[in-house]
Amino acid sequence: MYGMIHRAVRQMVFDELGEDAWLALEQKLDIGPSELLTGMVYDDALTIAIISEASARLNLSIDACLFEFGRYWIKYAERGPLAAIMNFTGQNLGSFIENLDRLHLAVSAAMPGVRLPSFTTISSAPGHLLVEYRSDRTGMEQFVTGLFDGLLTRFHATGDVTIAEHKASSIIFEIRYQDGI
Amino acid sequence: MLLTFSDQQIASLLPAYLHVDRSMIITAMGPAVRDHLPDIRIGMRCTDAFDFVHMDMDQFFDGTQDVKPVRLIARRGTMSLFGAAVFHEHGCLLAVRHALSEESMNSGSLHLSDFGHGDPVVLSTMLISLQRAMLEESQATAIELAAERERNAKVLERTSRVAGYLGHDFNNLLSIIRLNTDRLLRKFGDDEKISNLAHIIQETAARGSDITQSLMTLSQQQTDTLLPITIDDLIRGNDTFLNTVVGAGIEFDIDLQAGTAESVISYNGLLNCIINLLINAREAMPHGGRIALSTSITRGLVTSRSDGSDPEPGAYVAIRIADSGSGMSEALLSRAFEPLFSSKPNGTGLGLASVRDFAVEMGGDVWLESQAGEGTTVYLHLPLANPSAEAQKENEVGQSAQAPDDGARRILLVEDEPYALEALAEMLEAEGYSVTPCESGDQAMRALEQQSYHLLLTDIVMPGQDGTEIARQANLGQPSIKTILMSGYVPDSASLEPGWMFLRKPTDSNELLRLIASAF
Ligand code: HEM
Repeated sequence: MYGMIHRAVRQMVFDELGEDAWLALEQKLDIGPSELLTGMVYDDALTIAIISEASARLNLSIDACLFEFGRYWIKYAERGPLAAIMNFTGQNLGSFIENLDRLHLAVSAAMPGVRLPSFTTISSAPGHLLVEYRSDRTGMEQFVTGLFDGLLTRFHATGDVTIAEHKASSIIFEIRYQDGI
Repeated sequence: MLLTFSDQQIASLLPAYLHVDRSMIITAMGPAVRDHLPDIRIGMRCTDAFDFVHMDMDQFFDGTQDVKPVRLIARRGTMSLFGAAVFHEHGCLLAVRHALSEESMNSGSLHLSDFGHGDPVVLSTMLISLQRAMLEESQATAIELAAERERNAKVLERTSRVAGYLGHDFNNLLSIIRLNTDRLLRKFGDDEKISNLAHIIQETAARGSDITQSLMTLSQQQTDTLLPITIDDLIRGNDTFLNTVVGAGIEFDIDLQAGTAESVISYNGLLNCIINLLINAREAMPHGGRIALSTSITRGLVTSRSDGSDPEPGAYVAIRIADSGSGMSEALLSRAFEPLFSSKPNGTGLGLASVRDFAVEMGGDVWLESQAGEGTTVYLHLPLANPSAEAQKENEVGQSAQAPDDGARRILLVEDEPYALEALAEMLEAEGYSVTPCESGDQAMRALEQQSYHLLLTDIVMPGQDGTEIARQANLGQPSIKTILMSGYVPDSASLEPGWMFLRKPTDSNELLRLIASAF
């Protein structure tokens, strides 16, 4: 995955466990700043290695870590230089998810070789969304769940994100929520 | 072809559209108008809600054009819409969109849903914003990379310092072993058994010394011995090799006029410099030419420093290497000594820079004279080892101010390791020198006050005053004193002065005796 994602994982480890924990992780994996170049594509194996090292240090299973990282990515994107794009993408959960593909379309124009997922809202009612997720990666379910969960927090909503159905080439996520303030 | 779209379809293509009838009454509008301008309602007159910029509204429906460019500014708020007015029988579709800039995106007033799918302005504005974000991250990464490089350099420096200290301690031990084995050989060398054992110890010490040598190299320590060297002899002794360096096809003249003049330098260091300079000269003449290598004795470094900062016009051995090549332009000449600068396609740029480092370290200098088309001449000046002795020879007048004249050859010996001190003193005394052994700088200072010496032989790294400080004091009080420093490690703080000799520990007794003998 892109170095941008690695930087986010690093920030998460930084925030949770401090700089030393990250430096120890770097040492263990024999990586350094050159594995965190924003605009570079790295083998997914490296991304997985970083996540699994991070999960061990955070005392989480890999799935739990992916979920946390999903939640973290939303926080990461909204507080850094990506904030403007996040704000622009949508002002409520429904429209934000509706526009995710358009957001990633811009991402794919900026980052050649990126492998981005696609999200389609297949049903939308107050407090209830069914979203179809397609990707050429596997094993990202918990990451996506975490991302949606992070979006609930972003829009001051509370609720549950579950997997409604595993289809042949996609996964349907169900989001039940209540708007907050 | 006539296409019919539902309101919803139009809204998804043009979320900020408006439709008006022929009396300019709003009959439909897109969600991006509704959301941002809640005051505007269906049934309102459009011109009450918006200003049509540069448009004569009386002739809006004049029927001459199917499509007109329009720009609308909301009368309340700052919203601005632009696009086209598309006319039809019953009215007009205002196919307009929000203006989007990075600023309006950052301000959060507009959202993706306010724009139609496939709106290229949206994609490019997002792209710009994303690239800006990536650039910010990249800058942060660049800083991290630079910091990491610095960290690595620091670790390397620390490691090399540790290697240096280790080497120093080990060298001291080896030095003691070596000196005392020599002592053993001198005293009991006739006994074959003892002699054999002593040789085994010596060999083992020599192997240990090789190991410390590599440690020292790792720590980038000075490992070259600095001795008075007759420069003409060095060139003469290597002339066959130098001829090979220059190669066939180039005429190579050597003219040595420095006689027996000596400079205290590293033998290999100077040889490397000459080779570097010859290679440069050769490469300046791919089609052949002539190189002249000459030596002479000269005063001062005048030509090198135009700012007049030349310290004192001391005596120097001048080595001159002139080629008949293409020469250099002013611009090239001014950059020639920069490390990593090379005018040659495959040049490393290290040649001249390292020659300069060497020359300056030895107390001399190097400079170039060149003109495009007329060849280049390099001057390498190295301080004369013993200018007063030269002068003495020239004038045949005894000048050594405080040199003892009672016939004794006095050596002030400073070494903090008692075993080494004892062995050295004994060895030198056996050679007929009169030795004052001192274990510290303090003792040495006292000895200097009481007597004058021909020679100071001192260790460098010692507690209290280090060897270079002792040497500086000794030279100040007794300017004719010769100085030999010994060490397995030269700390950065200890700078050797031109003319001081330097011997690497572990000390080889024969080499030391030769060096001392040459000083008298
Ligand atoms: C400014 C915000 C965002 C940016 C710049 C961004 C960019 C990226 C990038 C660079 C990747 C890695 C793809 C690769 O290296 O091949 C990625 C993957 C992904 N993104 Fe986003 N993203 C953003 C927001 C979101 C949000 C809000 C979601 C919420 C659902 C999301 C969902 C995903 C998922 C699920 C993947 C995993 C890739 C896969 O399944 O194949 N992204 N994104």
